[in-house]
Amino acid sequence: MEQAGPSGLLHVAEAVHWTALTIMVLVYTIRLFWLFRFKAGRDRQRPGERYGDTSLYPALYSMANVGMPWVMESTRKNIPFYLSFVVFHIGVAAGIFFAIVGSAYRPFVEIPVVTYVLMVLIGAAFVVAVGRVIRRFARPVLRLISTPDDYFSLITLMIWFGVGVAAAAYTAGLLKGEGYWVAYLFATSFFLIYVPFSKISHYLYYPFTRYWIGRTLGHRGSMPPAIARG
Amino acid sequence: MADRNRSYKADKMVELLAPKLTRQVVGSLLGCVHCGMCNEACHYVLTHPDDPKMTPSYKADQLRKIFKRHFDWTGRVFPRWVNAYPPVTDEDLEELKDIAFGTCTNCRRCTFNCPMGVDTATLNRIMRGLLTRVGVMPEGVRVVSKDTWEIGNQMGVLDEDYIETLEWISEELVDQVGGDEQAAIPVDKLDAEVVYTINPREAKYDPRTINNAALIFYAADENWTMPSWGWDQTNFGLFSGDDAMGAASWKHLEEKFKELRGKRLVISECGHGYRSTRCEGPNWSGTDQDFVMESSVVTMIRYIREGRIKVDKSKNSIPVTFHDSCNNARSCGFYEEPRELLNLVASDFREMHPNRTENYCCTGGGGAMSMSEYTPRRLKSARVKADQIAATGAKIVVTSCHNCVDGLTDVIRHYKLDCKVAQLVDLVAGALVLEECAVIRKKAAAKPEPGLPLQGRKILVVDDEDDARVFISTVLADAGATIIEATDGDQAIELAGKEKPDLITLDISMPGKDGVEVFRELRGSPDTAAMSICVVTGHPEFREVIYAAHAEKPDGYMNKPVSPEDLVTGVHRILELRDKKE
Repeated sequence: MEQAGPSGLLHVAEAVHWTALTIMVLVYTIRLFWLFRFKAGRDRQRPGERYGDTSLYPALYSMANVGMPWVMESTRKNIPFYLSFVVFHIGVAAGIFFAIVGSAYRPFVEIPVVTYVLMVLIGAAFVVAVGRVIRRFARPVLRLISTPDDYFSLITLMIWFGVGVAAAAYTAGLLKGEGYWVAYLFATSFFLIYVPFSKISHYLYYPFTRYWIGRTLGHRGSMPPAIARG
Repeated sequence: MADRNRSYKADKMVELLAPKLTRQVVGSLLGCVHCGMCNEACHYVLTHPDDPKMTPSYKADQLRKIFKRHFDWTGRVFPRWVNAYPPVTDEDLEELKDIAFGTCTNCRRCTFNCPMGVDTATLNRIMRGLLTRVGVMPEGVRVVSKDTWEIGNQMGVLDEDYIETLEWISEELVDQVGGDEQAAIPVDKLDAEVVYTINPREAKYDPRTINNAALIFYAADENWTMPSWGWDQTNFGLFSGDDAMGAASWKHLEEKFKELRGKRLVISECGHGYRSTRCEGPNWSGTDQDFVMESSVVTMIRYIREGRIKVDKSKNSIPVTFHDSCNNARSCGFYEEPRELLNLVASDFREMHPNRTENYCCTGGGGAMSMSEYTPRRLKSARVKADQIAATGAKIVVTSCHNCVDGLTDVIRHYKLDCKVAQLVDLVAGALVLEECAVIRKKAAAKPEPGLPLQGRKILVVDDEDDARVFISTVLADAGATIIEATDGDQAIELAGKEKPDLITLDISMPGKDGVEVFRELRGSPDTAAMSICVVTGHPEFREVIYAAHAEKPDGYMNKPVSPEDLVTGVHRILELRDKKE
């Protein structure tokens, strides 16, 4: 009988990881079916005078909004916050990449450059996450609107980033013990299952909400927005 | 899923929410991550920094809680996890009323500042609609809604008062343009090019704007009309969230417009009226837009571009700034046209900052002017607007919205700013150069110019003596006539048949075919028999010969020498008599 050691646990972690990923895809699919069961609103008026645009352009512009901080006053006037958003979400992408590629083809994430880049990106996101947790607790406005899910999602993401940094350090040979990687895979699995039911699923809706608001306002003529000038 | 202790009204709201859940709405309900980016977009937040409940996402969360508790997975299973606490008691609904109506003007500024594309203003409007449907609303909203349903317009203007107002505006306008009856406002005229609809505030409190619009239509020589009912382009359904009322109000307009067989529905300057009529009405009523609608701002620009009205911007030299109505700019993309027009009619235009999509609300929007219980909070929130206006140094704040006129007037009064509010129609009317507008040009072209009594007349001057012929021709040409000359009888007969002059001055004593023969031939030919002929002769003894001829007598007779005045007066009188006879 083979003794259950770190390698056995890793095997379990990887199996759980892929199962969780499958569940996430399944739940997301069901979520989208659910969303599309609601009727689509329809604009019955003619396009707005002169600027009305029924093409896809306003909707695509709206979807690209995330990469154009200058078009919204809220980001234009708060560039540090916008940059922290960018760092945070790049960190999320790097963390997911690290978990999936690290499971599917580990030699790639063991390339020193890749490992260190991932460690920096996830580490930076960890710092931002700490700041965001503090911000959410410190600002009365955010305390008022925050739900337990908001706090939980943010804190667990912060922990996930932290474990991710440790797992990257282990991969780079800076830390000893397979446990960091195993813990990272279990943490990622947890998220894969939890995310579709939490606020973190906002990225699933993002393309749709931005597309719809862009299409609606574009038809009327107010998307793209007119930035203050003169 | 009903909570056991929930009131009937609270229960009903859940039921009423279901049909309002389109994909777009659900997307906005799901999309918020509570990041707080919308916070500083809101004028209520900026002016109430110590009150976190002013934040837009908190206001939208009130609807989100109902949605999550009853429609979303996580909220149905773990309501506490996502704060899915919907209203339970009627007291909760009263609190919601204060949030939805008293802390938000639905200006949509937060919508444009949300990274996720959450349309918080629309969510707040839906909340208003749910509350209104269960009878929970500010008293002002109740009164206006009642007037809209019962009388057909949101200010309860009775038909007879409206018609009477148009009549006295017409009388004043006719006097204003020197008695021209064409300036009177046509009511219920069929097949007009323009059917003009207004805000009831104009009929009730500010008829000057109707007068100015009518003056502009008159100046442009427009074929226009105003409907006797179905004239209220505003729509309180936008503010109260009541889609059914919104649809009914829009239907009034549509049905009357089609009854009048109008070509173009023109909407006077009103932000929410423009949005309701132009954008939302067809959606609320489930009717595809199948006729042309436009803002009066666009109409006025067209008149200037086409040269139908002439404006002189130096007549509006006081510094002006422009306030973008939220509904025009953020919900309809209507922000460049007013600026284009303003630059044509005012010489010192200064931008307000921020502007266009990013402008701040006048604070009177979203029906706030009708909710007096929230006035102190509204005026406090107006500090942002007051600062914006003051920074421009302008003496006139121009806006294309009646709600904004009232809202800004309140702001100016409350913060003691040294300026006043006007609308574009006022500035255009003030800049008109009426004498160069289409209506005056057309009238001028239709009648002779004063001092040129024979303008547009063609006269054949028949005389063999050069001096006499040149004299008569010159005098009549100076009086505006077009002259053809003949030096003998044959030429006179030929030219008369060919040129068909309005009148012939005929000399009697001529070599060859003399004037008497010419006269007989002209009268004898069907082509020339009816022509006016004035005999001008230095031989009065031949007069008897002419009058003895068996033909229609000459239309006039003059002895040589004749003075220029007598010649012109005589010819003019002959032609006038002929015109009257015709």
